[in-house]
Amino acid sequence: MSRDLSAEPLVEVSDVSVRFGSFLALDNLSLRVMPGEIFGLLGPNGAGKTTTIKVLMGLVVPYSGKVKVCGFDPLSESVDVKSRIGYVAENSIVYESLSPRDFFEFVVSMRRIDQAAANRVVSRLADVFDLAQFFDSPIATLSMGLKQKVALIAAFIHQPPVLLLDEPLNGLDAKSSRVVKDLMSLHVERGGAVLFSTHIMEIAEHLCTRIGIIDHGKVIAEGTLEQLRSKTDGQGSSLEEVFLKLTNEEAAVADRTRMLREAFFGNEAH
Amino acid sequence: MKLTEAWRLSKLPYREVVFRSLAQERNRMWWGAFGRNSTNKDVSDDFELSKKALQIAKFDKLIIAVFNVVVSIIPFGSFLLGSAAFGLSGSVSLSLAITFGFMTLYAIQTLSSFVGTESSALLTTLPISSNDFSLITLFSFVRSVDYLVVGSVLSQVVLVAYLTLSPLATALMFVASLMNSVFAVAVALWLSSVFHKNYMRGGRSKRTTVFRGFFILLWGCLLFGVSLLMSVPYYVLPILDKSLLSVNTLAGFLLSLIYPFSAGLIVTRLSGSIVPFFTLFGASVAMAIYVLGAWFSAKWSLGTVKRISQGVGVKIDRLRAVDFRIKSRGPLRGYVVKDLRVTSRNPATAFFFVLPVFETVIVAFLAWNVEFLRTSTVLVATSMGAIFVLLIPLALLTSEGKGIEYVKTLPITSQRLLTSKALITMATFVPVPFALLCLALFKPPTSWFTISIPFFMVISIVSASIFEITIFLRSVGKSKIAGIVNDGEKILVGLLTVFVPEIAYALVYLFSFNHAFATLTLGGVTFAEICIALYVVRRS
Repeated sequence: MSRDLSAEPLVEVSDVSVRFGSFLALDNLSLRVMPGEIFGLLGPNGAGKTTTIKVLMGLVVPYSGKVKVCGFDPLSESVDVKSRIGYVAENSIVYESLSPRDFFEFVVSMRRIDQAAANRVVSRLADVFDLAQFFDSPIATLSMGLKQKVALIAAFIHQPPVLLLDEPLNGLDAKSSRVVKDLMSLHVERGGAVLFSTHIMEIAEHLCTRIGIIDHGKVIAEGTLEQLRSKTDGQGSSLEEVFLKLTNEEAAVADRTRMLREAFFGNEAH
Repeated sequence: MKLTEAWRLSKLPYREVVFRSLAQERNRMWWGAFGRNSTNKDVSDDFELSKKALQIAKFDKLIIAVFNVVVSIIPFGSFLLGSAAFGLSGSVSLSLAITFGFMTLYAIQTLSSFVGTESSALLTTLPISSNDFSLITLFSFVRSVDYLVVGSVLSQVVLVAYLTLSPLATALMFVASLMNSVFAVAVALWLSSVFHKNYMRGGRSKRTTVFRGFFILLWGCLLFGVSLLMSVPYYVLPILDKSLLSVNTLAGFLLSLIYPFSAGLIVTRLSGSIVPFFTLFGASVAMAIYVLGAWFSAKWSLGTVKRISQGVGVKIDRLRAVDFRIKSRGPLRGYVVKDLRVTSRNPATAFFFVLPVFETVIVAFLAWNVEFLRTSTVLVATSMGAIFVLLIPLALLTSEGKGIEYVKTLPITSQRLLTSKALITMATFVPVPFALLCLALFKPPTSWFTISIPFFMVISIVSASIFEITIFLRSVGKSKIAGIVNDGEKILVGLLTVFVPEIAYALVYLFSFNHAFATLTLGGVTFAEICIALYVVRRS
C-alpha cells in the first residue's frame, strides 16, 4: 500500500486523549509534523511527551481522537506504521544478551532489509559512533551511552520517513550528540520528519524547525522559536525563559531557588 | 559492624538477587500483552510483582527445600518401611548424590544473578568498610541457599540418627551432609561464574560457542543424573551395596575412593556394620582428603563471594570487531536465530537445549531392554519425550525478557512470533522419532505402522506449543501475574493435546485390533489438532 506523502503531514494527531485510570495523560492533544520538519516536544516531567510518542507508535491506545503516521492508523495498520518509523525509547530497550551485531541482524531480518543495504548503513553508522570495540560484546556489558548508540542505529537502519525519538541524546557524549543532531538534520533534508522529546533547551533551540510545549497532556504553545517568543512578549529571551513563562513555572523556580539557598546557607541567605 | 546488623542489611542485596533471578526465571513479566496495548493494570501488576518478589522467592525456596528433603529421604525408603533388603552405605551415598545434584541445579539458577555484581551496586555507594561490605554480601549469599542446606542436612542427620542410633555415625553424617552442601554451592558458584564470564566476554569465536555448549551439556547431564537417581533408586541400591560391600574386590575399593561412597561406607562402619578392611581404609583416606577439599572449597567460595562483592569478579576482554558485516535472514528465520541466541545465553533457560539429547537417551533407555518394539513402548517413549518438549515454549517466552518491549515496536505480527516458537519446539522433538526409527532397525516392531506414531506426534507437538503460547498471550492480556506465575493450565492443555491422539489410537486399536487403522486415526487426530492450531494462529 503506498500513498502520496508529499502534501500530507507525516505525523498527525487530532484531539487525542489518553487516560491511565483516573489520570488524564493526554487531554485533546493535537499536533502535526510535516516532511522536512524537526519537531521538538518540550514539557515538564509527566507532561505527556512519552505518552504522545507511544500513541504514535501504537503502543498506547487513546480513548478518543485520531492519529495518522504517514497516512496510516497506528492501531489498525500497525505493521505499515511500524515499518515507516524509526523509534528510540526513553530507556533504550534491547535484548541485553545479544551483541550489537546480533541485535542488528535481528532488526534487519524483522524489517526485511536487503543485506547489502543493511550492511552499508550499519557499517557507516557503527563507524561514525565508534562501535568497533563493542560490536561483538553483549549489550548488557555496555554503558548507557553505548546502548543508546545501538538503539539509535537500530532506529536509522531502515531509513524510515519518520523518526520518533524519546530523549535521543540521553547518555551520549558531546561527539555522539553532534552526530545524532547531524543525522536528524540530514534526515529532514531528504524529506523525512523527526519528532523528538527533550529536556535540553539548547538542543531544541538550535535544532528544531518547530517546537511544541506540552503541559498536563495539552499542547499549550506551538510554533517556531520566534512565534513562541512573541507569545510571551519576551523578544530575544532564551527558550528556557519562554518555556518557564508558558508553563507558568517562573515563580515556582524562583521560589525553589530561594528554598535551596536557605537549605544550603541557612540564615546567611538573608 | 555487628553480625546482627550485617545480617539485617544483607536483606537489601539479597532482595536484589532474588528479584533479578525471579525476573530471569520469570522473564515473561516483561511481556505485557503482545498485540494488546499496555494498560494501567500492567503497571500495577509490575508493582505488585516487584513487591511480591521476596514472598514468591521465599515460597519457591520453601517448596524446593521440601522437595529436596523428600528426595534425600527416598533412598532410605526401604529402611523406613522396615525392610533391611538394602544396605545403609548405598542409601547414604545415593541420598548425598541426589541432594548434591539437586542443590547444584537450584543454586545455579539463583547464583547466576548473584555473580553479576550489580546486586551489590547500591551498597558500594554507601560509606561501609570493605570488610563489612564483604560480610553483608556473604550473608546475602547465605540467604539464597539457607533453607535448602538446612533442610538437607537436617533430614539426612535425623534419618541416620533414627536408623542407626549411633552418635558417631550421626556426627559423621552431619559432617558429610555439610560437606555435600559446601561442594554443591562451590560447584554451582564456579559453573555460574564461568558461564557468566564466558557470556560477558562476548565475541563470535567457535571457542565461545563450544564452551557454552559444553556447559549446557554439563547442566543437562546433572539434570539427567539427578532425575535418573531419583526415579530408579531401588534398581541402583542393591547393585551399589553389592559393589560397595563385596570383600576385597577392586570395584568396591575404587568406589570407596569416590565421594559420596566414602561417606556412605564410613557411616555404615560407625553404625556397627561390617565393611571390608581395604574398602574401609580407602574410604577413610578419601574422606580425610574430601574434608580438606571441602575446607578449601568453602574458602574458595567465600573468596569468590568477596571478589564479586568488590566488583572484581569478571574481567572483560573486548575484541575489536574486524568488520561490521551482518546477515539479513527474513523475519521467521531471524526470529528463530534470535530466540536460539537469547535462550542459550541465559543460564536459567540454557539447559533446555539439552532436552533433545535427554529425550533421546530416555527413549533409548525405555526401549533398549525389550526384545520387540511394542506399540506400548513407542507410545510411552513418545509421551516421555513430548512431556519434556512441552517446557520449551514456556522457556522461549521466558527468554524474551524485556526485549519483548522492543519487539512490540517492530513491524511483525504475533503470528510470526508464535510460528517461530512452535518451529523451535518442533525441532527439539524431532530426535525422538528418529531415535525410535533407529531402534526399530535393531528391535523389530510389532507393526511397522507403529514407527509412524512419533512422526505423526511431531504435528501434535506443534499444535500443543501453539496452544500453550496462545493461552499465555491471552492470560497475560487479562492479568499479567496469572500469565507469569500460573503455568499449570498451559502445560495441562499441552499435555492433553499430546495425549488425545494417543488415546484415540489406543481406543481404536482396542476395538479393531488393527494397527493400520489405529495409526491412521492417530494421524487424523493430529491433523485435526493442527487445523485448530492454525485457525488459532490466524485469529491471534
